[in-house]
Amino acid sequence: MKLHWFAEASYPDLPPDFRASGESSWVTTPISRCEPGVVGDMTRMFIRLMQQADREGFDGLAMNEHHQTPFALTPSPNLLAATLATTTQRAALLIIGDSLALYNPPVRVAEEVAWLDCLSEGRVISGFVFGTPMDTLYCYGVSPTELRERFHEARELIQKAWAAEEPFAFNGKYTKLRYVNLWPRPVQKRPPIWVPGSGSVETWDLALKNDYCYGQLSFSGLHSAKPLVDAWWNYAEENGYQANPYQLAFTQLICCAETDAEAEAKYSEAVKYFYRNRSVHPGFETGPGFRTQKSVQAMAKFAAETNKNLPPEEKARANSGEMDFWDYDKHGFIIAGSPERVRQRIEEMVKQLRVGQLIACLHMGDLDEETAAMNTHLMATRVQPHLRGLWSEFEDRWTPPSVRAAHAAALADTVAQPRKLAGARA
Amino acid sequence: MMQAVIDTLNGTPVRAWKGGQGGTPLVFLHGFEQHPGAAPFLSKLAASRPVLAPEHPGFGASGGASEMAGILDLALHYRQWLEPLVAEHGPVDLMGHSLGGMFAAEIAAIFPHLVRRLVLVDAYGLWLDDVPMPDPFVIPAPQLDAAKWADPATWAGAEPNSHDGAAADYVYYRSANLGAASRFMWPIPDRGLSRRLPLIRAQTLVVHGERDGLVPPAYADAFARAIPGARTAIIAKAGHLPMIEQEAAFLDAVGGFLG
Repeated sequence: MKLHWFAEASYPDLPPDFRASGESSWVTTPISRCEPGVVGDMTRMFIRLMQQADREGFDGLAMNEHHQTPFALTPSPNLLAATLATTTQRAALLIIGDSLALYNPPVRVAEEVAWLDCLSEGRVISGFVFGTPMDTLYCYGVSPTELRERFHEARELIQKAWAAEEPFAFNGKYTKLRYVNLWPRPVQKRPPIWVPGSGSVETWDLALKNDYCYGQLSFSGLHSAKPLVDAWWNYAEENGYQANPYQLAFTQLICCAETDAEAEAKYSEAVKYFYRNRSVHPGFETGPGFRTQKSVQAMAKFAAETNKNLPPEEKARANSGEMDFWDYDKHGFIIAGSPERVRQRIEEMVKQLRVGQLIACLHMGDLDEETAAMNTHLMATRVQPHLRGLWSEFEDRWTPPSVRAAHAAALADTVAQPRKLAGARA
Repeated sequence: MMQAVIDTLNGTPVRAWKGGQGGTPLVFLHGFEQHPGAAPFLSKLAASRPVLAPEHPGFGASGGASEMAGILDLALHYRQWLEPLVAEHGPVDLMGHSLGGMFAAEIAAIFPHLVRRLVLVDAYGLWLDDVPMPDPFVIPAPQLDAAKWADPATWAGAEPNSHDGAAADYVYYRSANLGAASRFMWPIPDRGLSRRLPLIRAQTLVVHGERDGLVPPAYADAFARAIPGARTAIIAKAGHLPMIEQEAAFLDAVGGFLG
């Protein structure tokens, strides 16, 4: 199994009554609440943590794109990737991802990813995302009926630009370019492509037909994800595709400490901060015509299935930051506790869901750097060694070759030193 | 009585409510939320003349939304729809409400030979930096009602519409309608109409609800200033839908203009 380091770069200084104020945490959040110095400090912290994750053997460093929100201050994942390309050695730069419809012309994504691939010596994973309604429809003003068309047109242009040997003309509905001739080309002929989805059959088809890695990227944990992920694997098998765990990425908040009690003491407030302060004005969570009737009905069906394990009122409590720390853990929103407990819980979860690409969220909310660094260290030294060999019978086509080679070498080391590993476990 | 009829234009269904006979046809273009169906004001307008009220592409039972890449496509759609009518009766009187007002003004500017008189009712299509409009796609339902109606207690939930399916499916009807409207209104309902308004040759009446909180009355002034010779009628105690909320006053103002 591949293990990737991730954090939503959350603004850490929202006041305790932020949610009660009724302000939206996206699109229209008052900028008077934002202190630029704090943003500089927090961003440098995230960069240090990701550099540590690279040194300690994580397979990837994940970064995403959001706009106009204290929930995640990463307006350009490519900029963050650029700061890491020259200050890390081994891990994949997992851009998950660029909101294709927001780049005009979208050949800019092809260029920047190619340039980053050169700079990092072939370590880029290129995520193609629709983007949230908040980011795309409201912050960037894309029409809800155009978003998907723009995404697919951009996707075709980018892949064609990476592959082309000669200048070509691109006459799209939204983008018209007489001369596409990418300088530079990526080191990887075609960088691995990942697409996140939220349970729509259209996105499953997109991932399977194009051999993209599919991302189930929520923060609601095992109970909410199980029906969706089961449906994805069933769909893949029914359509004749191998259920290769490496083709599924999953995000999971993890809170690891030496003991369970220490985990609760160190992470409880940050977990609640993380959930409490994601309170989007309902009008911004979708747009007219953004989802088809079919997709709305399918999502309602999945929601009804998850209600069996997680009643709606519990889910609402979780999403308002009011759940007890260990109830968050019980329902899978977080995996918390000692390294041994975390290892067991992750193993159980990734086996149930067949996850080959685990995107571990090791910083959340307003967590302090020292605890996040401990989380990262414990995951790398006491958890990852036990999980590295999982799914090794499958071929991973969705991480860069150099990252796969480093993973294989680390796995060989682990196998050669079973005694050391046993010691670490005790 | 107004009757719903589904015709085909370029292989795509167009549903329209039709009624009345004799005289110059009046074509009514509905607003951004929904077609008013067989609303009483349409029947009353049809007492002395033919009235035709089509559903826009993507609304209700009309198809073809995905062909609408811009306002010119929409204007051409209506040119094709209007031409047989104009061939038979001569130029029509065109009344557009809300988003339909934006469409009617575009049609009158681009194809002046199709339009005899023009009535714009609480029309979208302009943007004034000093008078920003609320975002009609995001505004929560109670505030939408407060913006739409002078008297929301009476009218919220009582608005006529063209939904003919199960009540539980109204939400999908509405979502499809707003998706179709967003093609011309997202994120700001300005597609350059202000540059074209001076080209309108039809006699024009700008009707506006005095209490319209979606398109504030300052926009009625802006339309009237830009369209040569346009007159204005402000309807008291009415919001965004004066033909529903103050039907008698509305019919009076329009009747005096259309003759």
